[in-house]
Amino acid sequence: MLFLQLLLNGLQIGAIYALTAAGFALIFGATKIFHVAHGTAFTIAGYVFLFAWRAGWPGWAGAAAAVLAAMAFGVAMERYVYRPIQRHEGSFFTVFVAAFGVGIVVQNVIGMIAGRGFATVDTPLSFSAEILPDVFVAPMLWIALATAAVLFVALTLFLTRHPAGVGLRALAQNPDLIRTYGLSSNGLSVLAFAIGSALAAPAAIITVMTTGLNEAIGHQIMLISIAATIVGGIGSLRGAALAGMMLGIAESIALQVVDTQWAEAVSFFVLFAFIIFRPSGIFGVVQTR
Amino acid sequence: MTAFLLNLATLAAISGILASTLNFIVGYAGIFSVAHAVFFGLGAYAGAQVALLLVPDPFLACLAAAAIAGGLSLCLALPALRVRGEYFVAASLGLQMVAATLFAELKPLTGGIGGLVGIPRPEILGTVVPVLPLALAALALILFLTARLQRGAFGRTLQSIRDADSAAEALGKNVNAAKTLAVVFACAGAGVAGALYALHLSFINVESFTLDQSIQIMAMVIIGGTGTLWGPLVGAVMLLSLPAVLSFIPFIPPTEVGAVQQIIYGLAMTLLMIFRPAGLVGDQTKGRSTS
Repeated sequence: MLFLQLLLNGLQIGAIYALTAAGFALIFGATKIFHVAHGTAFTIAGYVFLFAWRAGWPGWAGAAAAVLAAMAFGVAMERYVYRPIQRHEGSFFTVFVAAFGVGIVVQNVIGMIAGRGFATVDTPLSFSAEILPDVFVAPMLWIALATAAVLFVALTLFLTRHPAGVGLRALAQNPDLIRTYGLSSNGLSVLAFAIGSALAAPAAIITVMTTGLNEAIGHQIMLISIAATIVGGIGSLRGAALAGMMLGIAESIALQVVDTQWAEAVSFFVLFAFIIFRPSGIFGVVQTR
Repeated sequence: MTAFLLNLATLAAISGILASTLNFIVGYAGIFSVAHAVFFGLGAYAGAQVALLLVPDPFLACLAAAAIAGGLSLCLALPALRVRGEYFVAASLGLQMVAATLFAELKPLTGGIGGLVGIPRPEILGTVVPVLPLALAALALILFLTARLQRGAFGRTLQSIRDADSAAEALGKNVNAAKTLAVVFACAGAGVAGALYALHLSFINVESFTLDQSIQIMAMVIIGGTGTLWGPLVGAVMLLSLPAVLSFIPFIPPTEVGAVQQIIYGLAMTLLMIFRPAGLVGDQTKGRSTS
């Protein structure tokens, strides 16, 4: 039964990873910006929800505020950090360092305001019930899975049916063509950041209602998003979501063999193996060096 | 006050070694490692164990540290040969996270979270010596080697790899060997810095070898100027004197000094990348290091 319990826990972690990884992959795919501050959008959304909850707001209002905050952060990053750097044809690494700097600032500001250490929001939804002998599941698990599934279907529909979504995919493949057709690549890249960052908010809310979050969680989320994007294959949204889910499950099931502190390392062994043996990932086109 | 300044100077020299060696692979070979603190840590643990178990001879400690850090740097060279850019940064991030866990968990070798304590002071021929002259000598040696390598054929090979590695390969350069050699040299240097750090503080634990430390070394290189000889040193001295300067500002509560310091690093990194991406010393007109 322990295996089933770990698998169910893994599904919940996996849903969180899949959502954040899909957001990261969407941004990276469309804009080619390696948005390492994606974990920061997650942290901001989580703490906005936490503060709203403590201030007595209803849950939906807190969630809306969290989504808006994450979107505002993503768009501000695009507008005030990435775009000025890219105007001077900044290298990948310049972008990486700038975004990392923002991550450090936000982490420490949150630490100063909210205090350091784990913070959680307790609701009836987070209480576990025994569904099978020795298997405990909280309603949050089903909410997490349903949220991930619904958002992923909505995102796929948007990218295949809606003109703006099709534009985003076109931007990913051929930015020059976008300009030729008179579409605004700037507008589309703002859209990519808005949607991608918004996807981090539900994941952050689920996290704060289950395991809790601390001010440094952004690092971990960023690493998982990068790992999932690479393992899934750069440019593939379903690859990123699938890999996020897999990493969550692998992390949780590994607990049967190793101690908790190694759970994170499991993701990195998977990532390492992929980088050495199959850098193109599960669904990616072959592209090494 | 003298003790305070001596301590600061020693730490600055050690950070200078770290920043210069990282700059060697970032600025010259275009390998963007965010795992430099791993090799700093390997060297520190190796040097500390030599001093604790054998003799507190600084040369032996440095040698062991360089050998272990240089040898294990193949963990970094391997992905560097396979992938570039984003992929490599992801791999080195992963290496950094796993190594920090290993440092915290391998208690017999690293003392776990508590770290290694009571590392004896370095002795040469039975006389206790301060670490500062040793660190300065190591720094000078590394700067000298960097300058020589950079001007020589090896340096030009590295720069051609940084700028266009398929072209370098087409010209018959052995790209894999050059990259591996650069990584081994830089990581062995970081190892020496680690051994000196352990001997200087006589206490080490995993806190000094985490991602934050790697990023701080990176910040030193970036703020000073990648691909320049003196830039990383300028960056190291600036970032190290920051806490001292901050402690003179009266309105920051002492408990928040660390956070304020981090916020300043973070802001400096972001603003520099936006407004002055070549760093303080770097040549602003020249194209910067490639992606």
